[in-house]
Amino acid sequence: MKNFNLRDFGAGIWERSNRYQRIAIVLLVITLAALLPFAGASFLATPVAAYDAVLVYPVAIFVLMSLGLNIVVGKSGMLDLGYVAFFAIGAYTNGLLSMHTGLNTWEIMPIGIGAAMFAGVLLGIPTLRLRGDYLAIVTLGFGEIIRIVALNVSWTNGPNGISGIQMPPPILGKEFALDDQKLFFWVVLVMILLTIWMIRRLTVRRPGRAWEAIRQDEDAAELMGVPTLKYKIWSFTLGAAIGGAAGVLYAAKNLFISPEMFTLNVSILILACVVFGGIGNIWGVILGGAILGYLPDRIRFISDARLLVFGLVLVVVMNFRPDGLLPRKKREKALIKKGANA
Amino acid sequence: MNKKIKASAAIVAAIALSFGAFATTSASAATKTFTLAYQGPLSGGEASTGIDEQNGVKYAIKVFEAANPGYKINLVSVDDEGDPAVASKVAPGVGTNTKIIGLIGPAYSGATIASLPYYKAGNLTVISPSATRVSLTDPKSPTAKSDYGRPIFHRVVATDDKQGPALAKFATDGVTSPKVFVFDDQSSYAVPLRGYVEAALKNVKGATVVGGGDSVPNTTTDFSPTIAKIKSSGANVVIYTGYYSQAAVFVKQLRDSGSTAVFAGGDGVFNQQFAVLAGKSGEGAKLTGVAGLADVDAKIEADFKAKIGVSSGVYAVESIDAANIFLSGIKAGKTTRAAINKWVKSYNFKGIAGANIKFNQHGDISEGGFAGFLVTGGKLVNKGPVA
Amino acid sequence: MFTVFIDQFWQLTVSGIALGFIYVLIALGYTMVYGVLRMINFANSEIFMWGTFGAIVASRDLFGYNQTSEPAHGAKLALVLFVQLFASMAFAGLTAVTVEFVAYRRLRAKGTNRLATLISAIGMSMVLSEVMRLLTASRPVGSPRILEKVILVEVWGAQIRLDTLITIVAAGAIFIILERFVKLSRMGKAIRAVSMNEDAAKLMGINLNRVITTTFLVGGLATGAAGFFYVTVYEYTKFNIGFTMGLAAFTAAVIGGIGNIRGAFFGGVALGLAEVYASAILGTQWKSVTIFIVLVLVLLFKPSGLFGEAVTQTRA
Repeated sequence: MKNFNLRDFGAGIWERSNRYQRIAIVLLVITLAALLPFAGASFLATPVAAYDAVLVYPVAIFVLMSLGLNIVVGKSGMLDLGYVAFFAIGAYTNGLLSMHTGLNTWEIMPIGIGAAMFAGVLLGIPTLRLRGDYLAIVTLGFGEIIRIVALNVSWTNGPNGISGIQMPPPILGKEFALDDQKLFFWVVLVMILLTIWMIRRLTVRRPGRAWEAIRQDEDAAELMGVPTLKYKIWSFTLGAAIGGAAGVLYAAKNLFISPEMFTLNVSILILACVVFGGIGNIWGVILGGAILGYLPDRIRFISDARLLVFGLVLVVVMNFRPDGLLPRKKREKALIKKGANA
Repeated sequence: MNKKIKASAAIVAAIALSFGAFATTSASAATKTFTLAYQGPLSGGEASTGIDEQNGVKYAIKVFEAANPGYKINLVSVDDEGDPAVASKVAPGVGTNTKIIGLIGPAYSGATIASLPYYKAGNLTVISPSATRVSLTDPKSPTAKSDYGRPIFHRVVATDDKQGPALAKFATDGVTSPKVFVFDDQSSYAVPLRGYVEAALKNVKGATVVGGGDSVPNTTTDFSPTIAKIKSSGANVVIYTGYYSQAAVFVKQLRDSGSTAVFAGGDGVFNQQFAVLAGKSGEGAKLTGVAGLADVDAKIEADFKAKIGVSSGVYAVESIDAANIFLSGIKAGKTTRAAINKWVKSYNFKGIAGANIKFNQHGDISEGGFAGFLVTGGKLVNKGPVA
Repeated sequence: MFTVFIDQFWQLTVSGIALGFIYVLIALGYTMVYGVLRMINFANSEIFMWGTFGAIVASRDLFGYNQTSEPAHGAKLALVLFVQLFASMAFAGLTAVTVEFVAYRRLRAKGTNRLATLISAIGMSMVLSEVMRLLTASRPVGSPRILEKVILVEVWGAQIRLDTLITIVAAGAIFIILERFVKLSRMGKAIRAVSMNEDAAKLMGINLNRVITTTFLVGGLATGAAGFFYVTVYEYTKFNIGFTMGLAAFTAAVIGGIGNIRGAFFGGVALGLAEVYASAILGTQWKSVTIFIVLVLVLLFKPSGLFGEAVTQTRA
C-alpha cells in the first residue's frame, strides 16, 4: 500500500457505506467521544490536572474554537491572528451579564454569540479588503485591543477580572458540579456536533463554494462574479460566532475571567491546532485541537520543560507532516501548493 | 504503509509508552507518609516567585523530616503558572485528590480566586504565603460571593489595604510638602495597591497627588513618557506599585534624566534583586515590605542555603511559616482535611520571624505589618515598622 | 491631557527617535526575510532576545563585569562596546541561521503551504524562549553600567544623552551599511533577484539556499545589533522581552511596507515616536491600542504600507 493515507482510507469507508451503515458509524463515533470522560483511569489520565476538567478546557473548547477558526483560515484562506478577541467577547458577555442581570448561561449564549458576530462584522468591513499578512497583523491588533480595553476600563473590573460567574442551570435535571465535569464536557460536545453539522451543510452549498474559490484565487473569484467581500465577511462572522460561543462556555466553566486569559498566545495556539491537525479538514482540525489541548497537561511530569517540548513537537510535526496530521484532499492540496509559489 | 505514516505511528506509540511508564507513581509505605501540595507559578514568566516559595516549603519539610524521623512528607508541585486559566485546570485535580491534606499557596490572588471553588468543594485548607488581594478575606467586598475564601482560605501575609497607608506614609516621610506621582504596572496586584496608596495619601499632611499618574504595561522597558510626566508635574516623590525588575529599569532612567525625586515602592519592589539591578540609581529608594529570611535570621538563611543549595528568595519566611503550620498539624496527628482545617483555625504559635501567627475568622493573620526599608550601599536596610 | 505633550515635546521626540532606531533594526530582520520568502519570521523576536544576551555574556565573561563594576572610559569603553556589539550580532546571526535551517529549510524544499512554515516558526520561537528561560531560571538579567549616561547638551529642554547619541548614530550607520549591502553587493543583488522572482533567479544560476541563508544572517545581524543597543540603553534583559519588542517592530515594518528596507526605517522611527507621544497624551496603558489604530488607518489608505512592498504584487 504505497499510497496509504489515513484520511483517504477513512473517506473510502464512508463512501462505500450505505445510509444505515453511515448512521451507525456516526453514532459509534459520537458514543466513543461521549464516553471519553470515563477513560480517566487509563493511560489518558493527566497528572496534577483533573482529567475531566482538562477534557472540557482546553481539549473540547480548543476543538470548538479550532473548528471556528478553520472556517476563516482553512475554508476561505484568510490568516486571522486575533481569534482570541471573539473568545474574549463571548466570555466577557457572560461575565458582565451574569454580574449585572439574572440571566443564566443558556440565555446569555445567544447574546454572547450575537456580540461576537457584531464585532466580527464591525472588524470585517474595513479590514477584509486587506490580504495575507496585512490581514494577519490587523486581526492580531484587534485581539490585543480587546484585551487592553478589558484591562483598562473600570466596568470590566480591569486586571482583577470578573469573579463569581454563575454556573449553568441544570440540564434535564442533572446539576453541574465542580468536582465532576462530565456534564460540561457533553454540553461542549453537543456544541461541537452542531458546529460540524453547520459547517458540512455550508460547505456543500453556495457559501462553501464561494469560500473555496476565494481561497484558491481571490482575483479570479471576483472576476467570475463571486461577491468576495460579502462571503469573506460571512466566513469571518461565522468564525466569530463560534469563538463567542466558546467564550461563553469557558466563562461558565471557569467561573472567573480576567484579561490575562485572553492574550495573543491563545490565538496562536488555536491557529497551531488548525494547522497541526490538517488545515481545511474538519477531522484533522478536531484531532489537532484535541492533541494540542491535551498534550501540555499530559506531559506535566516533565514540568519545567513542558513548553519546550511542546514547541519541539510543533517544529518536528510540521517538518514531517506539513499538511497536518490529517490533510485535506489531494486535489485541493495541489492547488494550494501552486498558489503558494505563485 | 507509507513511510511517513509508519514514522508517525512509531512516534505516537513511543509517546504512549512513555506516558504509561510515567502514569504510575509509587508510594513507600514503610514510614508514615503524608502529602502536602504547593501551588504557584513553577514555569512561565512568573516562575521565579513560585520556585522561591516552593524552596521555602521544601526547606521546612526537610527540617521537619530531620527532626521527626519516621515521617515522610510528599510535596505535590501544582504549577498554575500564576495564571487563573491554568489554575482552574489544575485545581479540580488537587481538590479531588484526597491524599493532599493541605496546600501552601496559591501564590497569586487571581489564581487563588480561580482555584477557590474547587478547594471549597473538597474542603481543602490552603495557606497562601503571598496572595494579598483584599477581597479574599473580606466578606463585605462586592465580589465576596466568589472571592471570600472562608473557611478554607488563610494567608500569612498582610493585605494590600494595610500596605497602601504604610507605603504612602513611608514614602513621604521627611519630605516637605510632598508632591507624589503614583503609577502601576497594570497587574492585578499593582492597580488595587495604587488605589490604596492614593487614598492613603489624602490622609498624609501636606501631600498632594500630582500628574494624574500612569499605568505602564509590565513588558515596557522604555519609561521616557512616564518620566516626562513626572518632570512636567514637578513631583518630588514617585511611588511605583509594580514589581522589582521594572522598578530597577525605571529608577535608572529616572536618575539618568537628572531627577532627584524620592523613589518608593511596595513589597513587589521589595527584593534584594532590586538593589542589585538598579545599582547606584537604586540608592535611597524607600520600600515597604516584610523582612526576608536573611534579615530575620542569618543562621537559618545559612542552613537554608546548605539544605536547598540556593539562597532564599521572596516570601521565604511566609512559605516556611505556612508549611510549618501544616507540618505541626501532621505531627499533632491531624491527618485528614477536616482535622487539618480545625488545627489551622485554632493555630497560635510563633512564626520564624518571632511574631505570633493566629488567624482571625476571615483567615487573615492578626499580627504582622509592614516595615520600611531604605536602599543603602546596595542593601535593603530595615528602618523599623511603619505604623 | 496635552500639557505633558506640549511641555516635554522635544524630550519626548528625542526619546521616541532613539527607541525608533532600535525598532528599525529589528524591523529589518522581519523585512529582509519577508522580502525573499514572503513569510513573517515569527522567531525574529526571540532572535532579538538572544542578541541581548550576547551583549551581556560578552561583558560578563570576557571582561568580567558584574553589577557593581564601574563604567568604563576611553579606549576600554570603545573596546568593550565594540565586542558587545559583535557578540550580540554573532549570537543573533547564528540563531537566525539556525532558525532557517531547522524551521524553514525542509518545508521550503517541499514547496509546502505557508501556514505550516508559520507554525514551524512559532514552534521554534517557543523553543528559543523556553531554552533561555530555563538557562536563566525565569529571572531578569541586569547588565552593569558600562557606558556612563552623561547628559551632553540640553536643547529646548530636551536632554541629549551619550547613550541616545550613540544609539542614533551607530544604529543609523548599521542601517546604511546593510542597505548598501543589499543594494550594491553581488549577494545583495541576488537577494533582490530572489525577492522579485524566485524561479527566474534560480534559472539565472543563483544558489537559492545560499541566498536565503544569507538573508536570514543579515536580518539576524541587524536584529542582534538592536539587542546590543537595547542592553546598553536599558541595562536589562529577560527571556520574555522579545514578544513586545518584536510585535512593535513587526508593526513598524508593516507600516513602512514590509519587504521594503527603507520602509522599515521610516516605519521604525514613526512607531517609536507614535508610542512615546501616545503614552504621553493618553497614558502608557493605551500605547498599543493607539499604534494598532494607526496601523489600521495606514493600511486602509495605503494597503501595502506607506512605502509599498519591494515587489508590488501582494501574495496571499
